[in-house]
Amino acid sequence: MADNQPKKPIWQKPWHFTETIFIVIGIYLVGMMLQLSVGTFKFTSLAWPLNIIFGGGSLLFVFLLSLRKRSAFYQWLAGVPFSVTLISALIIQTIIMGITPQVSGALSTKPGVFDIIGFTRMTSSWPFILIYFFTIIALFAAVLNRLKSPKWRDYAFYLNHTGLLIFLFASGFGASDMKRYVMYVEERADLPEWRVYSENKDVLELPIAITLNDFVMEEYAPKLTIIERKTGKSIPEEAPYYFQLADKIQETEIEGWSVKVDTFLRDAIRNSDKTYKEIKMPGACPAAKVSVKEIKTGKKISGWVCCGNYAQLYMLLNINDTYSLVMTRPEAKRYASDIVVISESGEKKSAILEVNKPLKMGSWTIYQYGYDTDAGKASMYSSFELVYDSWLNAVYFGIILCAIGSLCLFWIGNKKRKDAKND
Amino acid sequence: MISWDNFIWFAVSTLLCWASAFGLLVFSNKIRLGQMLAGLGFIIYGIFIALLWFNLDRPPMRTMGETRLWYSFFLVLVGYITYAKWRYKWMLSYSLFVAMIFVVVNILKPEIHSKNLMPALQSIWFVPHVTAYILSYAILGAATIVGVKQLYKFNENEDTALVEFTDNLVYVGFGMLMLGMLMGAVWAKAAWGTYWSWDPKETWAFVTAATYLFYIHIRWNNKYRKTSLWVLILAFTCLMITWKGVNYLPSAQNSVHVYGQ
Repeated sequence: MADNQPKKPIWQKPWHFTETIFIVIGIYLVGMMLQLSVGTFKFTSLAWPLNIIFGGGSLLFVFLLSLRKRSAFYQWLAGVPFSVTLISALIIQTIIMGITPQVSGALSTKPGVFDIIGFTRMTSSWPFILIYFFTIIALFAAVLNRLKSPKWRDYAFYLNHTGLLIFLFASGFGASDMKRYVMYVEERADLPEWRVYSENKDVLELPIAITLNDFVMEEYAPKLTIIERKTGKSIPEEAPYYFQLADKIQETEIEGWSVKVDTFLRDAIRNSDKTYKEIKMPGACPAAKVSVKEIKTGKKISGWVCCGNYAQLYMLLNINDTYSLVMTRPEAKRYASDIVVISESGEKKSAILEVNKPLKMGSWTIYQYGYDTDAGKASMYSSFELVYDSWLNAVYFGIILCAIGSLCLFWIGNKKRKDAKND
Repeated sequence: MISWDNFIWFAVSTLLCWASAFGLLVFSNKIRLGQMLAGLGFIIYGIFIALLWFNLDRPPMRTMGETRLWYSFFLVLVGYITYAKWRYKWMLSYSLFVAMIFVVVNILKPEIHSKNLMPALQSIWFVPHVTAYILSYAILGAATIVGVKQLYKFNENEDTALVEFTDNLVYVGFGMLMLGMLMGAVWAKAAWGTYWSWDPKETWAFVTAATYLFYIHIRWNNKYRKTSLWVLILAFTCLMITWKGVNYLPSAQNSVHVYGQ
């Protein structure tokens, strides 16, 4: 290998780590100059078909280069020093990204230094884009180089490198074609909804329309906690204690108070000034009758607590001058929208949409996004995220190849060394 | 009817089997017996999970205690398969050890109250994603220990068995890490509409994976063995930041991977 020739003058081929580090720093500096002169990279400027022309063209160039016999430059492009140095460059940039809060959207009118050099928008900064691009080039060159003398025993190499290549290519160049919108649909509206909001809150019309037949929601039982009235913070401060309510008589202890739940109603309506009764109707809200005893003094107090919702006020139980027992708002357990989707071409699909269960329609995927959190169960609308990603199948193909390749790593490590010994 | 009240009996029998299997694998040559005991414990544990599943009428994957049941189950399964197929004895004993920790945690701190699992977490990918990661963390932790051992009184002509062992640990651990990450990507696509969103935890997971990738590539040549050992320590530091440290970083205040309470 090249590193066995220590006296080689710098820049004489074959290039090794010294030259490679200089070149990668050069790539980074070019990226930084672009960053400073034209600002962050705009993915939309590389939208279809420019991305495939540019991306495909670059790979074609590498392919043509590989046809030249004994091209030292191509050997370097496909070699370990280049890939290792690129990986280091990616590591350094992502570490910066990992400690700098990332933001999206346009620069503010008074950008800071980190905004200008792209640290706060790392994945759209020119140096990052260039390093990412050359990683794709190096991967492709490495795969082509290995293909010159194909061997079956290199299957793990092919799976991992081709998988990663396809994944990086499709997700990188595909980012220019990806569209994400949010659509708000009212329950049982007269007309299907076509309008969506873009990330910049612009209103657009899509070739897809949605009707919301029904929005349903299940909630977990709420929790009890003791708060300090002045700050509103739960105690103990270092590890706030929340007690999960359930449909049975329960007892617990919170910081020197014993708390007993006498009655827990999932659907309650205020009965009088300070009492509740069970009525299943819109606007009903969880409430509980509790007895609290200060263990040290034996002082006892009891009363109703209620978390409140859009229709009813909350109710808390003051247990002394500083602390109150309160009920938290119930958390969402499951929410789902019964929808009908119509495309411009007349295709129609019905589905129950919920988190983790999206609906695919051509290159569009529709996700349950949100609802009116103040109204909770009674939300009159449901919101959906509509994602257009024409490169998704390629991305999945890359993921599958990488996954199989990763499985191969379980035994390939051992084998590689054994082979090396035999060589 | 089987419920958590019966757990202690199953757990203790399982622990007895696994502890003796672990002892036999590590300290003696009765590997066959150890393997059988590991399998017996696995079956006992599996029966409890199956009966609990049947009784609950839903997969027991919702509460922390329930997910820990699966950790132990999968850990031993993977260790067993790896051993049966490729004779990685350390893999079986190591996974037995970590699995036992999870069983003990479940006895001492069951957390069986119906924990509120937010809708995004209610996915078939939850358990395999977390299990693959935890297992890879365990294996890469072992690789770091072996690496530090070699760095301490570094010897150019280190016996190749130990060097190979380090590489194998990294290969297996990295494979698991990648599987965890890829399953996470597929899950994220279903839950949030994007397979990779550079959430702080994802960013650090990328840093970690890239650093192990760096190790694997630099090990292509034996010349950089000392550097590679330092890289191994750096990679594990990144791993710890991903796992535990991200919560404390200012960049992670809105991370979807940081769960409250």
